Amino acid sequence: MMQVTEATRNGWRVVTVTGRADHETADALESALRSAVEANSRVAADFSALDYISSVGLRAVVQAARAAQKRGSEFAICGISGMVRKVFEVSGLHQLLQIHGELPC
Amino acid sequence: MLEEAVLLAVDEASGGLRATRQHGAAYALVGAVFFDLALARRIDTDTDNIQILDHSPTGSPTLDRVLSAMAQRNDSTSVRDWIEAIYYRREDLEGEALAGLIRQGILRHEKSKRFWVIDVERFPLIDNRPQQDVRLRLAEAILSDTIPDTRDIMLVSIAEPCGLLGYFLTEAQMTSRRERIMTLCKLETISRKVAAAINDLEATLRQGAHRFA
Repeated sequence: MMQVTEATRNGWRVVTVTGRADHETADALESALRSAVEANSRVAADFSALDYISSVGLRAVVQAARAAQKRGSEFAICGISGMVRKVFEVSGLHQLLQIHGELPC
Repeated sequence: MLEEAVLLAVDEASGGLRATRQHGAAYALVGAVFFDLALARRIDTDTDNIQILDHSPTGSPTLDRVLSAMAQRNDSTSVRDWIEAIYYRREDLEGEALAGLIRQGILRHEKSKRFWVIDVERFPLIDNRPQQDVRLRLAEAILSDTIPDTRDIMLVSIAEPCGLLGYFLTEAQMTSRRERIMTLCKLETISRKVAAAINDLEATLRQGAHRFA
């Protein structure tokens, strides 16, 4: 189960993701992030309420970041903790993506 | 992915299959099967476990055979268990990938004898464009700073441990982009697990061989 909500704060489109990013929700996650990236020049993915991410979920995030890079949009990942932080650290994603402790806005 | 990995190993001049590191080919084949199943959304993994999402046929006899065999093994839930099972079938995987490339008119199969005794198999390229395409995609993934496509990330992580990148990148490119290559290789859980498991397996096999020597 996953829920996505969006809000605009100080020029950033904040996409807040709650729950699990796995095979059941990865397509919806990628679609939400890509739509945000297509319509906004600064997108922050707030993962502070994301409890679990699998390989499929991680690929969805990386490909959304790729779409942002192609458009020249800023894309930041924020608030990761627990299991999700562990997955991001082990994968070395900080070398490819912008990861912040807190929201940039 | 399995066919692309095997295609990368074909020597464009001689048609020989490059086995640059002793166990590199095993890594490539096992990793490629995992990635193909992941791309077909038949499996998903997290840091430790593997889950079959869908048992329906993929259209690839090779993948369907592996999937069916693993679906019957309810006790195999870790990435490591799967790797062991697939590792012991790796020769079939290479043969089936080569047969697929021959059927598509990309390679042809030649058999000859060396010193009138030793059988030599070669797979000369009939159409070199698919191999060029894969090499260009991987070179772009490594030499640029952009985020690559999922498939290319996976393929870099298969090609690197086999020593196959050196056939289309220069020594200077490999050295200057070492960090980037390592970043791409680490991204996928499957790559990390497959590399670690094959190292463990081979260490165990070597220990066994010493014991009987």
